[in-house]
Amino acid sequence: MSSKESSSWKTRFWAVVRYELLWNIRKKKFLGMVIVAFILATLSLSLPVLLSNMIGQPLKQNPDYVISTGAGIGGLGMFLFAVVVVMNSISGEFESGTIVPLLTKPVSRTMVFLGKLLAAFITLLSVYAVLFIYMAVGGTIVYGPQNNLHLLPLTLLGTTLSTFVWVAIVLAIGNMSKSSLIAALGTFGIFIALTISSPIISMFTDQAWVLNYVPGSGMTGYINGTTPQTPYTPGIAVATGTDNIATNLINYVLYPSSNVTFFKIGTLRGQTPQMVELYTEPLSTVLARSMLVALGFIILFLSISWYTFKRAQILE
Amino acid sequence: MGLAIETIGLVKRYGSLTAVNRLNLKVEKNTIHGFLGPNGAGKTTTIKVLVGLLRPDEGTVKLLGQEVHGDMPDVRLRVGYMPELPKFPKHLRGWELLDIYGRMYGMTKQERMEQIPKLLDMVGLKEREKDFVGKYSKGMQQRLGIAQALLNEPELVILDEPSLGLDPVGMVEVRELIKEVAKEGRTVFLSSHLLFEVEQICSHVTIIHKGESLISDTLHNVSSKLSGPATVQVELAKSSDAVVEAVRQLPFVSNITQDGNMLTIELKTRDNVRAQISQEITKAGGVIVSMSLKGQTLEEVFMQFITKPQGGKAE
Repeated sequence: MSSKESSSWKTRFWAVVRYELLWNIRKKKFLGMVIVAFILATLSLSLPVLLSNMIGQPLKQNPDYVISTGAGIGGLGMFLFAVVVVMNSISGEFESGTIVPLLTKPVSRTMVFLGKLLAAFITLLSVYAVLFIYMAVGGTIVYGPQNNLHLLPLTLLGTTLSTFVWVAIVLAIGNMSKSSLIAALGTFGIFIALTISSPIISMFTDQAWVLNYVPGSGMTGYINGTTPQTPYTPGIAVATGTDNIATNLINYVLYPSSNVTFFKIGTLRGQTPQMVELYTEPLSTVLARSMLVALGFIILFLSISWYTFKRAQILE
Repeated sequence: MGLAIETIGLVKRYGSLTAVNRLNLKVEKNTIHGFLGPNGAGKTTTIKVLVGLLRPDEGTVKLLGQEVHGDMPDVRLRVGYMPELPKFPKHLRGWELLDIYGRMYGMTKQERMEQIPKLLDMVGLKEREKDFVGKYSKGMQQRLGIAQALLNEPELVILDEPSLGLDPVGMVEVRELIKEVAKEGRTVFLSSHLLFEVEQICSHVTIIHKGESLISDTLHNVSSKLSGPATVQVELAKSSDAVVEAVRQLPFVSNITQDGNMLTIELKTRDNVRAQISQEITKAGGVIVSMSLKGQTLEEVFMQFITKPQGGKAE
């Protein structure tokens, strides 16, 4: 057959990507998640307009609305998108038995793994891009002309990178357990544990630095303007975790030489909690560390996934 | 003639259970080779090792002359495989699935456009090609499984229980399909629990039991080796002692019994000697009303093999 000549790695690899992309965009839970994201985005844009009309005050122009909000996805949104896109990606194939015809085609397991990964990346990037455009257009209509819209691609890449930490975790748990349910619930457990523990550790202990090295929102500090005497009038909040790469990227571009100061809650005097300064570090350090930590987790969990998948025997 | 499949001392264990035990399998090219065995004999495990879904614990596996170890996708370019009760992604349409698999085989657009409609038509899914696979019945998925196994015009087609889940008409169609595939010069290796199916289409047979190969040979030789000579039943117009005596003298006759006009002739051979018997009866003045050669069916042979003590290994 003449096709043998064209049966290059590239052709076969894109076939896997296509296979996975079609699955991603036809999953009911994915479509449901996209719809919910758009409903929430619409509400975040329209509610202020409705409220301002109700109280009879015109809405203030806010030229930084879009760049400060991004796609409005947040940590939970990224976690949920990661789960719905990849929870079935490999473990679902094992559960349904569709892995058998797939792995008996002339595609290596590494190729299948990388193809599925690229498809997840493309899916997430596309959805986020559409959401960002929607928010940019909506934000401009509601809050007037927007500043720094040219930085949106940076936000897009940062958000996708942050989401990929959760993608890697979901894939690793899914591959080891061969169960989509365990993949979703296991990752959810990690997400909830970190989400609950982060603010507690961050605000009450001296050891909040540990949050810089785990997935999630991380430790919270403030750029400029925040002093222990004015704890409730902080400057720009900066979260150090892997969920906040996009925001930190934007902050770094806008305020490249700024420093971030971290606090904890000290002794309570009467009704006013006293903030105790822990330490200060450059924003560039915060950003670089969060990106390296994210990449570290992505590489670690994807390596576990890949190795588990490569060694898996198809018993069913 | 070269070998399409060769396993040497193949062993596959699941914990303490040895599913395949030092299996030496040889499948010649351009044959239809049946792989028989009761449930749990190790057929599917062997096939999964052949196609790379399972790693062997010991032994070597060669497909089309190439040793298979680890994940070797290039070997699979020349092999088509249909799993037992295949499951395909429900989110893809029938033609979409074949199109994507075709891309995985590196087929050009033109090749896919030619091959896919032909295969869908052949397996009777042309009318339903745009439906999602999730809406297909088990039988339709089985047909799709056959289509995808033939997509790349493979040199070797491995079919695991191809008739499972099909209605009688579908089973006949599949058998005809397999014969057609073999006529095109491809090797077909199929496992089946339907002995009559194997008997009808296979030229060679391997019987496996408890992970070990009991016998592997041509279908004719397998039957001969175990079942011994065949018998010929002759109905005469009128009984005659002269006819009985004449037939008894034939060198390949071991015994003859008479029941009215009916003669049962036991033969020392499994060759077709009806013409010589007929000639001898006519010469002795007998008139033949009917004559039939009776040998053991593969089912009888199979049962004889697997119920023998110690697995009943043949010489």
